[in-house]
Amino acid sequence: MTNLLNDTPGTADTHAVAAPTKPVAVRARGLVKSYGTGPAAVQALDGADLDIHTGTFTAIMGPSGSGKSTLMHALAGLDVLDAGQVLIGDTDLTDLGERQRTLLRRDRFGFVFQSFNLLPALTAQENITLPLDLAGRRPDPEWMARLVDTLGLGQRLQHRPSELSGGQQQRVAVARALVTRPEIVFADEPTGNLDTRHGQALLRFLRDACDDLGQTIVMVTHDPLAAAHADRVVLLTDGRVIEEIADPTASAIADRMLQLDTEADDRPHTAASSTDTLQEG
Amino acid sequence: MLRLVLKQTMAHRGRLLLTFAAITLGVTFVVGTLVLTDTSRKVFDDQFRDASTEVDIVIRDAVAFDAAMGVEVERDPLDPQLAARTATLPGIDQAIPVVKGTGLLISDDKAIVPAGPSMLSSWTGVDGFTLREGHAPGGADQVVIDAATATAHDITLGDTVRVQADREADLRVVGLVGFGESDGLPDTTVALTSLRTAQRLLRLGDGISQIDVIAADGTATSSVAEDLRADLGADVDVAASQDTAAASAAAAKSQLGFITGALLALAGAALVIGAFLIANTFSVLVTQRTRELAVMRAAGATGRQVMTSILGEATVLGIAGAIAGTGTGLLAATGLRSLLDAAGATVPDGPTVLSARTLIVALAVGIGVTLIAAFGAARRAARISPVMAMREGALGTTGGRGRLRSGVGVAFTAAGVAALSVGGATESMPALGAGTAALVAGMVALAPMVAPAVVNLIGRGMIALTGRSVPAGLAREAARRAPRRTGATVMALALSLALVVFVSVVGASVRAALQSGFDEAITAELVVESARGEMLGGLEPTTLKKVEDLDEVGTVSPLRFGHWKDSGATRALTAFDPTTIDDVTDVDMVEGNLTDLRDGVVITERQAAERGLNVGDTLAMTFARTGTLKVPVVGLIDDDDARALSTDYLVSLASYRDWFTERVDATLLVRPSSGTSVHDAQVALEDALEGMPTVEVRDQASAAEARTASLDGILTMITAVLMLTVLIAMLGITNTLALSIIERTRELGLLRAVGMTRRQLRTMIRTESLLIAVAGLLVGTTIGVATSALFVRAIAQGGDLHLRVPTTGLALVAAVGLVVGVVGGLAPARRAARLEVLTAIRE
Ligand SMILES: Nc1ncnc2c1ncn2[C@@H]1O[C@H](COP(=O)(O)OP(=O)(O)O)[C@@H](O)[C@H]1O
Ligand SMILES: [Mg+2]
Repeated sequence: MTNLLNDTPGTADTHAVAAPTKPVAVRARGLVKSYGTGPAAVQALDGADLDIHTGTFTAIMGPSGSGKSTLMHALAGLDVLDAGQVLIGDTDLTDLGERQRTLLRRDRFGFVFQSFNLLPALTAQENITLPLDLAGRRPDPEWMARLVDTLGLGQRLQHRPSELSGGQQQRVAVARALVTRPEIVFADEPTGNLDTRHGQALLRFLRDACDDLGQTIVMVTHDPLAAAHADRVVLLTDGRVIEEIADPTASAIADRMLQLDTEADDRPHTAASSTDTLQEG
Repeated sequence: MLRLVLKQTMAHRGRLLLTFAAITLGVTFVVGTLVLTDTSRKVFDDQFRDASTEVDIVIRDAVAFDAAMGVEVERDPLDPQLAARTATLPGIDQAIPVVKGTGLLISDDKAIVPAGPSMLSSWTGVDGFTLREGHAPGGADQVVIDAATATAHDITLGDTVRVQADREADLRVVGLVGFGESDGLPDTTVALTSLRTAQRLLRLGDGISQIDVIAADGTATSSVAEDLRADLGADVDVAASQDTAAASAAAAKSQLGFITGALLALAGAALVIGAFLIANTFSVLVTQRTRELAVMRAAGATGRQVMTSILGEATVLGIAGAIAGTGTGLLAATGLRSLLDAAGATVPDGPTVLSARTLIVALAVGIGVTLIAAFGAARRAARISPVMAMREGALGTTGGRGRLRSGVGVAFTAAGVAALSVGGATESMPALGAGTAALVAGMVALAPMVAPAVVNLIGRGMIALTGRSVPAGLAREAARRAPRRTGATVMALALSLALVVFVSVVGASVRAALQSGFDEAITAELVVESARGEMLGGLEPTTLKKVEDLDEVGTVSPLRFGHWKDSGATRALTAFDPTTIDDVTDVDMVEGNLTDLRDGVVITERQAAERGLNVGDTLAMTFARTGTLKVPVVGLIDDDDARALSTDYLVSLASYRDWFTERVDATLLVRPSSGTSVHDAQVALEDALEGMPTVEVRDQASAAEARTASLDGILTMITAVLMLTVLIAMLGITNTLALSIIERTRELGLLRAVGMTRRQLRTMIRTESLLIAVAGLLVGTTIGVATSALFVRAIAQGGDLHLRVPTTGLALVAAVGLVVGVVGGLAPARRAARLEVLTAIRE
């Protein structure tokens, strides 16, 4: 189970390549999103900027409530923004209508959520091919076989989600996210409900997908151990990207997070005040 | 506890909306029926009571029974001397001779044909009619009519109206009367003339219909009645007027009894269908609230308390539905009245009566149905264990009970099928009734297993037809996933459609039999009949005379109908003219023949077999005029041919005149004279009968049609009412889908996130609705056709009745089923498509 996507050797090199040299898959500029009105309004995104490079694995981190999920939803065309631009190639996501965004998600993105990733009525196989079925396309049998094999789901394809363990369910979700060979896979706390062993295994799949297939991955997490699998960590506070850590290690992330939390405790809870103090590496 | 229950109910009011609607509809129907019939009953009670308030005693010819099939029997006229003699007896203030009968009003050459009787009576001044304008009728050319008719037809004092009874006359309107508070009698025209004039018009000579007696002040009615009985002997009937009023009201009301029964049966069907919807809602609510209920349990609530709280919600809902249903029921009474009117069953209208009984029934029905329907869910709620509060998505499974349920279902279904086949083979109605009940119970129990399987099959068919599509596949899965819910939803629609199919098949079969029997047995080319309902009399004797006098007519043979009592049960007989019957009919006799009939009775082969009678035996028949007679059986007739003559018992017209007071003909069977074409004869008849607006001349085909007209009216009405149950079943689909959408919010969000378009989502929900509807359609049509086929066989009893499965009827049912499927899914589909992807994911 450790030798994943094993027909592409030499994975270590890819890992070392610096992200910025690659073309940009998603360019986000000045994202603003607020919930509610008046004094009760919450500024979930407050001018966030971000580039996601093709073939990289990006982790979005930040304190709880800092806007991680909102940012990911905005990038993935799941949410509508108040202001800002999300460019996927030449297309500005914010210009697209509901139907076009849906088709974009179906054909060009893959999703892994923290929980409830699978439709209980469908078998594992049907869950995996769902986006293709929705598009009326047939799965590429070779690709399908490879995914199933790599994720160790061969014996489980005819099972329903209720007959699968949590780890297996998340692997099915990953298979579904990859089955369309999407441009980007978005994952929101994909290991949040898994124990460490299963969580780590899942993260290694994602890592390998990135390394071996050049899969672009954006993952929201608050777990430094998880984020350490990424090429780059983007830190979010009060709806803004305040800093990036390239080639992160778990301990470096954990230190930085701790620091952020302390600062957050020390300053008044306004979204604007934080940014200037935080431009260190 | 009560506050908690109220709060819970209010908190779920959105989810309970359609359930509330279903209860309301059911209660509406019940209340509507009760209000309608109570109102009509009150009208009759008031009418007959008002008519009798001034009169103490009524003297009439004695009869063996007062009324049959809701119609009072006619009595022989009394000797006019009797009135004079009565007046001289002690304790009597007045003895007023009265003549009563039927007289059609014709104004400006237009007949006024009310839905009820055309009353012609002599003026007494004491029978409840009070002058509003003008004066009492004095001279031979004067008449007083009711103010309501006058207003409705622009008749004023001084106008001339024609009154057509056995004779007719043009009379001047000299007065208008009201009746009590109202301007007339409901659905009735009233013509009051002098005693002489009424006697002349009704061709009574100096005979009188009855004597209204007013006792002298200070004498007890009962003792006066005693004395009168002793004095006048057993040939006359001396009765307290309030008793005769009660009897008349009872006779009039007995027709309402049939209508009440039929409508309440239909209301019951609506309630049963509604119960499925209610049961589904509570089942879903309990499932959706498993965690919340588990928390309640963890906090120390007993299972009993949880159950009580659910049943409490059901009670609140039942009360709300009962109150709303009572309100709408008052409106529905009017609608039902128009529906009955259209079906040819007119019930009189009056001030609306909402009795305490109706309110109690409404509450009992509303609460009762809701409680019973919610009981299963409440019991399941009581079994929720506190640990379920901690478990994700742990919803109670019911393996053990499921097996028990399917066992019971299989047993009932098997018993039902067995009873139906036995019933079909032995033509036993009770076995068929029990079989149907058992089959329905069994199907309901099996529904969670059968319905999803049917849905699955249909889904496959649909996918095979339209190509593989995720929405269709998912819809199929969704319908299968909650088998109980799907089962109940499917069964509700299936049962309502089965009823429609049943009515349609049985109706078509009976209709075909009636018509074909007529075609085969009646050889007369033309038929003269009354256009009015059978209950409202037939053709006055003058009609026959006019027809006989025509040169274009070769043979005319009258038929008369009458009722007799067969140890309590009321039966119909037909009287015919033996000398002409062979010219106008072609009937198969098993023994004897009709032309020889003088004094006896000819009965059908089947009656003979059932009663163990043979030619030469006697049959005890009780007639109102004569009492019980031992009538010799002189012939046996083929069952189907007898049906063409509307009867199982045939007597000669001579016997009829001896045994009945009634003088009207039901039908005249006519053959043109030789050399006259049917068309010419028909034209001649129409010309001759021009002045008799309620008389119709029909050729054979339209006469055959006319025989089924009242059946058609009733079938149409029943079907219209059954559509209400279909509507409730459709609400059931909407309800089930709406609730399941709430339950599946996250699933739908996920689907949308991974790329299902809104259109696909809508298609999915609509497909689900359609699948359920088509499953209901298939199951319902199957049950409907199967049970009706067996019923038809049983009613036929080896006779001429053949199963007719009406293609138009079934096509209509199929169309209705599909419409239900399409419409039922619209709202939930729209609602599902409006779901925000993110809200759904985040939930
Ligand atoms: N639907 C919503 N309505 C109101 N506030 C919301 C909604 N979604 C998110 N928020 C608020 O926006 C902020 C950012 O939320 P989110 O992006 O989920 O944060 P994170 O994923 O970093 O924990 C939080 O303060 C949260 O409470
Ligand atoms: Mg989050």
